[in-house]
Amino acid sequence: MEYLFHIFIIAGIYYILALSLNLIVGYTGLPSLGHAAFYCIGAYTSSLLALRFGVSPWIGLLAGAIFAAVLGLLIGAPSLRLKGDYLALATFGFGVIVYQIALNWVSFTRGPMGLPGIPGYSLFGFDLSQLWVFLILVVILSIACFFIINRIVNSPFGRVLRAVRDDEIAAKSLGKDTIKYKLLVFVIGAFFAGIAGSLYAHYITFIDPSSFTVMESVAILLMVIFGGMASLSGSLVGAVVLIFVPEILRFIGLPSSIAAQVRQMLYGAILVAFMLWRPQGIFGKYRFK
Amino acid sequence: MIIQVLINSLIATSIYSLITLGFVVIYRTVRFFHFAHGAVYAMGAYVAYSLFIGAGVPFVFALLLAALFAGFFGITIDRMIYLPMRRKKSSSLVMMLASFGAFIFIENLIAFIYGNQILTMRTGPIREGWHVLGAIITPIQTMILIVANVLMVLLWLFIQRTKLGKAMRAVADDPIAASVVGINPEKTILWSFFIGSSLAGIAGVLVSLETNLEPTMGFSALLKGIIAAIVGGIVSIPGAVLGALLLGFAENFGIWFIPAGWKDAIAFAILIIFLLFRPQGILGVKEK
Repeated sequence: MEYLFHIFIIAGIYYILALSLNLIVGYTGLPSLGHAAFYCIGAYTSSLLALRFGVSPWIGLLAGAIFAAVLGLLIGAPSLRLKGDYLALATFGFGVIVYQIALNWVSFTRGPMGLPGIPGYSLFGFDLSQLWVFLILVVILSIACFFIINRIVNSPFGRVLRAVRDDEIAAKSLGKDTIKYKLLVFVIGAFFAGIAGSLYAHYITFIDPSSFTVMESVAILLMVIFGGMASLSGSLVGAVVLIFVPEILRFIGLPSSIAAQVRQMLYGAILVAFMLWRPQGIFGKYRFK
Repeated sequence: MIIQVLINSLIATSIYSLITLGFVVIYRTVRFFHFAHGAVYAMGAYVAYSLFIGAGVPFVFALLLAALFAGFFGITIDRMIYLPMRRKKSSSLVMMLASFGAFIFIENLIAFIYGNQILTMRTGPIREGWHVLGAIITPIQTMILIVANVLMVLLWLFIQRTKLGKAMRAVADDPIAASVVGINPEKTILWSFFIGSSLAGIAGVLVSLETNLEPTMGFSALLKGIIAAIVGGIVSIPGAVLGALLLGFAENFGIWFIPAGWKDAIAFAILIIFLLFRPQGILGVKEK
């Protein structure tokens, strides 16, 4: 049961990541291959604040999200001038750079040794790090993220995003500053990924750069594609299925090192299969142009 | 000291050139980023390892067989994944993501088969290198330089002088016009995958002689290939070598100032600067 709670918590965190990436990729059509960078900044900001300055994880949650949003601005401002494949490559590159900073800036992040002993959440002196309590916290937060992002995509702002995605020139001709919209959506997406990062760090209580590699970005993107581009409930399906299915490998008795490889092989094969036969995903409404 | 760094830069350049040339030869005919190129490279190295260390095949034959294998492996990826996508007119972004999926699959397949540990292809005692102007160059490094540069010249002659090479250039310049004058684009694509992938395979074997084999070796090779290709001008053959030269020198001279752990970050910083300020690369022509 505990194990199941754990898997649900992880799936919930990935749901937030997939939701935020879907806003960028599915609704606005910006291929981003570096989402783990924002996840990483959220996790490190919140953990370092807690470990170095004893800041409460709740403030860390907000700080992590804000730092991630600022990074979103810093990465988005130059990259969003690019389009399509080149935008994907640039975000991919920024993902590698952020990962290497986490890995190599040892005096600040402790590099590959990671940050152990990150405190958990508590509320009015009540410890929230018990599994079922944390699960409730994650569920509440992911539902909140869902409602906010749902509100965004169904607002007039969201309509402009879809216009930018489907026909940027037309959107421009209607007087919309498309670059500004793209940048804003990038920042919002980064903000929510930062929340997921902070949640993850205070849940696992240990982080190291290996949780934030480029492969992590691909996994998040795969969840978005799997469930469906521009489908928020699709992202739930994507996150839950792609977190649960590899767990089966553990049950059939594969050693964890081999299970990790088989999981990656599975992800790779699923990505190829979807691109071949259903690039918009199961419930998707949009495919990459 | 400076001579030593110069030699190291040239060796890195030779290897990167082979990877990048392979990447560019393929890109010119298919027009999307073939990420699985990095996996083909690693596969070449591991096949040579199995033949040379596992089966005791003489090194020269192991190298040739690995190159052949890599060539056919590239063709297989094209036939299985890219051809159906070309028929559906999938966008280059969708094909790139599929290629990334294939890369992840193959990389982990290698780790699954050979294990995660580092393997070595060196046998016998380590021989001392030759002293050249106060620097040291090992026999293996000399071989890498010779093999890589001979291959570069052969590729250049092939593309400039042979009929097939001309067809490849025509498809690169204008695929529609090429098919109008009777060049079969699919046949050209097949050949470019074979040649480009063999070059990657050979590069993989040469690198594993100099360093070692790891399942993840394809990733950094892929990055170097893509970055050097874009820096050089993505469709330009001399540009590919120029891009590799820039990257090889920047990395080896950069180590003086910045620790080696930042290599990939530096390479990507170069890429991002180029994407923003000169997206067409050094020798590229601005797209209309």
